Amino acid sequence: MLNPLGLLRTATTAPGVRRLDTPQPGEVIDRDTSVRFTFNGARLTGHEGDTIASALMGNGIRVVSRSMKYHRPRGYLTADIWDPNGALQVGDEPNVRSAHRLLTDGMAISTQNVWPSLDLDVKAANGLVSRFLTAGFYYKTFMKPAALWPYYEKVLATFAPGGTVDLDTPHGEFDKRYAHPDVLIAGAGPAGMAAAVAAADEGASVMLVETEHELGGHLRWGDEAELAAAAELIHAVRSRPEIEVLTDATVTGRYEDNWCAISQRTHTHVAERLIKARAKVLVVAPGLIERPYVFAGNDKPGVMTAGAVRRLVNMYGVQPGDRAVVFTANTHGDAAADDLERIGVPVQRVDARAGERIAEATGPDAGVAGVTLVDGRTIEADLLVTAVGWTAPTSLLNMAGDRPVYDRATARFFGSAEIDNVLTTGGIAGDGTVTELVGHGSATGRLAARRAAVIGAHLRAATVWAAPVDTTPPATLPADDRSPLGRDAHPELFRSTTHGIVDYSEDVGSKDLVAAATEGYDSIELLKRYTTATMGPAQGKLETVNTAAVLAEARGERIEDVGTTVWRPPFVPVSLGALAGRVFEPTRVSSIQPWHEANGATPILAGQWIRPEHYGDPAAEVLATRAGVGIIDVTPLGKLDLRGPDVPKLLEQLYTNKWQKLPVGGVRYGLMCAEDGVVMDDGVTARLGDEHYLMTTTSSGAASVWEWAEMWLQTEHPDWQVHVTPVTTAYTSINVAGPKSRELVGRLCDDVDLSPEAFAYMQVRTGTVAGVADCVMWRIGFTGELSYELHVPAGHGLHVWERLLAEGADLGVRPFGLEAQRIMRLEKGHFIVGQDTDGLTKAPSTGLESLIKLDKDDFAGKPELAWALSPEALASAPRVVAIQPDDPTIVPDEACQIVGGETTEILGRITSSRMSPTLGRSICLGQVVPTLAAPGTKLTVLLVDGRRVPATVMEHHAHYDPEGARLRV
Amino acid sequence: MSDPTLASSVVDPGSAPTGALALIDRSDVTKLVVRAPHAGETATALATAHGRSRRAAGVTILGQRPTEWLLVGERAACDALAAEVADDPATSVIDLTHGRCLFELRGADGPRVMEKINGLDWSDPMMPDGAVTGGSVAKVMSDLARQDVDGTWACWIAADRSFGQYLFDAIADACREFAH
Repeated sequence: MLNPLGLLRTATTAPGVRRLDTPQPGEVIDRDTSVRFTFNGARLTGHEGDTIASALMGNGIRVVSRSMKYHRPRGYLTADIWDPNGALQVGDEPNVRSAHRLLTDGMAISTQNVWPSLDLDVKAANGLVSRFLTAGFYYKTFMKPAALWPYYEKVLATFAPGGTVDLDTPHGEFDKRYAHPDVLIAGAGPAGMAAAVAAADEGASVMLVETEHELGGHLRWGDEAELAAAAELIHAVRSRPEIEVLTDATVTGRYEDNWCAISQRTHTHVAERLIKARAKVLVVAPGLIERPYVFAGNDKPGVMTAGAVRRLVNMYGVQPGDRAVVFTANTHGDAAADDLERIGVPVQRVDARAGERIAEATGPDAGVAGVTLVDGRTIEADLLVTAVGWTAPTSLLNMAGDRPVYDRATARFFGSAEIDNVLTTGGIAGDGTVTELVGHGSATGRLAARRAAVIGAHLRAATVWAAPVDTTPPATLPADDRSPLGRDAHPELFRSTTHGIVDYSEDVGSKDLVAAATEGYDSIELLKRYTTATMGPAQGKLETVNTAAVLAEARGERIEDVGTTVWRPPFVPVSLGALAGRVFEPTRVSSIQPWHEANGATPILAGQWIRPEHYGDPAAEVLATRAGVGIIDVTPLGKLDLRGPDVPKLLEQLYTNKWQKLPVGGVRYGLMCAEDGVVMDDGVTARLGDEHYLMTTTSSGAASVWEWAEMWLQTEHPDWQVHVTPVTTAYTSINVAGPKSRELVGRLCDDVDLSPEAFAYMQVRTGTVAGVADCVMWRIGFTGELSYELHVPAGHGLHVWERLLAEGADLGVRPFGLEAQRIMRLEKGHFIVGQDTDGLTKAPSTGLESLIKLDKDDFAGKPELAWALSPEALASAPRVVAIQPDDPTIVPDEACQIVGGETTEILGRITSSRMSPTLGRSICLGQVVPTLAAPGTKLTVLLVDGRRVPATVMEHHAHYDPEGARLRV
Repeated sequence: MSDPTLASSVVDPGSAPTGALALIDRSDVTKLVVRAPHAGETATALATAHGRSRRAAGVTILGQRPTEWLLVGERAACDALAAEVADDPATSVIDLTHGRCLFELRGADGPRVMEKINGLDWSDPMMPDGAVTGGSVAKVMSDLARQDVDGTWACWIAADRSFGQYLFDAIADACREFAH
């Protein structure tokens, strides 16, 4: 009869689980060092070297978690990183694999997803309705009424597994690293270590990656001879500097051309590091994963794999039970039985090789109390150990394109064909004694090194900066001359005569799988998705083969006919922090930035550039400049140095206007279009010498214009002799603007005649400013005022800036920022490419038709622009116009729509808008349909708040000084 | 009027290492870019293949690209070498002393530092002393040159001046785990 309270309540400790008094030969804990921690609030003590799992069991705790769906009590099954029952909350970190994570002082450990507690979990009531919660139940329920889904979702979310994350938790520091080892070895058991040593001795650089905290693989929990072999191999590895050893790290994925991802979970400087390794040869040596057995009660605490028992006893000195049944089909199980007997635990052996089978683990949910065999015998025991075979973790082979095949004689999968630069060794390749495994590993390491040498030689030969190769590398890789490992026969043991759990992570049982197959989900991939088997945190490590076996049995077929699901990366969970790594966000600053920061500039990020937006009052900066003189740091302005006799040809090609007759000392504005006629950039170019020009671009267009120029030179006109060199930050650019700018510049420059007759608007000179030679001085400006743009060798930029401020103090000079400049350029009616134009704006829309010279032989965009200038095209092309709201106090937001009266017909938009301090009213630029472009046309602007306000199209783009009198003085 | 001195883009060297592993700002060194056909008078005179470098008369000549060399050294020496090739009408010489920052990372742990901020293979066979290439360093396109100093591993990292402080900080940060 069902006892609801008994179902919900469970004991978490067991008298037979304890720390052994006597140290074991392979023990890794330091019994002289105590480590304090808490588990669900209880204060406990472990030892240095303990995992959380061994520390808990050392304190007699057998139940550590509840299962995902039915909340059944769970204890450790494999006691290693793959343990499906060991996900615990540690401090503010959820989902910690407690059978792998080492214990540290002060750890606060708790069980996840139980309410109110591990020993009394109300959620275990799910077990009462388990018959309704079979695989796929959520595909069949919660469907109707659809409107209730949000409520279903909330309820279901409370049952979701996993711990809790405190959003206020300071995140750890993560980073990434690149590596290019000759040989990357995944797994440091005997074969992996031997491979590393042999490869290093052949001269290869080796990266040896081990998931566990120490090298050694299964030798670590072995007998004295195995421990001695491990020590010898570890010494050999550690004594070779060519081998980089990464422990507590896992090769999580293999991608094209041996690009491998490695998660390094323990590091002295970062919480976790993702290593991107480009290995010439990958050696896959992960060993084998012990497979659980499917039978009734197989998820009760006290059911463990042989490997779990051996690790707990031999490495951590933990006795996992008082009386044991060992169900064994191999020497590994025999050894576990021997280990238990050695520490005084009575063992009843059930030998699968003799045809004996277990059928059920009996007892309360809290743990095993007895075992029933298929022949009806019952045995009293609180520990049931299974040793029924292995799963080959072929994940990296799958990722390399291999499709491993099932071998019935050994009851496990093997790679079907080795790839040239992916080799296997160790348990994944076959069976053998330690000596045989080491021999195969050594042969594999030598082969890997020799193949890596050939691959490396080809890489060097193809890389101009690499060390030259002495001889032409061979076209083929060295042949595989290894003697293969043997394969030990092993009975096929997957499920008993009873049903049990297959996927411990997802609470999916063999009954669920059979039911799903009966419902028609009889393809392994469909079955996986329908039941979620192999989709939980274990990701198939323990349950893939059993899932296939149960399905095969249900279909009456063989495992090899059913196949397996595909292993995909990552092989172990990788934290999001490690995937993100160090966030590199390059920023650029001019040489004057320290001054800006020290003088209260408000920064603004424009592209990658940090620029001063203003120094407190942009309107005052405008007025000061218009009245006297201001200076602005315009260093981000793109600059390209052009040299060679064919520069005019290049300029003619890039710009819509003509350049052949630009004199030395002259400056010309140019409009640059893409081949579809759309405006892509604009700027001025100066001719500094006979074959020497300096082109300026928009700040954001500097890189793309350089690429555009190189594209034309390299693909269309390789015969033109032009050198284009980016020099944007070779110069610090300072614009000195305002009616007193001539006087100010004149105080610092005595080798250039600044008179308007000698140095007129749109001219350039080279001279000395504030003692700095080779300054390029332009009479141009974006503000509409008399201006000198000084391009100063960047290392002297701050010096010149400070001298301008010092010498101009009596003139009222003040710095102005980007905002003041944008106001002044809008007052002046200069459009900004990308703001007042967009990805569809062709040159004629800007009002600069006069700059489109169709009588030139060729230029980028000419055919399209020839059409764009036709009457029919102009009749539909939008126009950039100056606009003033009739109410001068209203400043429409940029991007406000221009609509047809009270309708919703969109007839244009505001592209730029500001309150003009100079004019005391709002001013705009906008794009409108051509029928509304005539001066004086009344527009309706739809504001963000829904109001519609009248505005008028102006005669000129310039709201201020349309004749340009102020800048030509 | 005081004689101005070239100010580096690195205003604050922060915690840059200065011991066995050192990050040194060498931005004030003269840097002249020579652009010329890959085979011609200038290429012959500079005698430095793409991907290689050599030192001659106080100047380190870096073969940065098939048609581009960077001359690094003292001003007079660089100017003298540039003068030898400047008469070639197919040659351009551009002074980028102010336009490029240049840092030297020196020390045996240098390759490990670079592996954290750059994806190239920094092993000796692939990046021998004298190798010249380019790549992203902490997401900034940089010119890279292995330039050992008296047998100690060293590398030059040159980039657009405006990235100087950011790049210097990023390299210094990558050095932290190796600084003793």
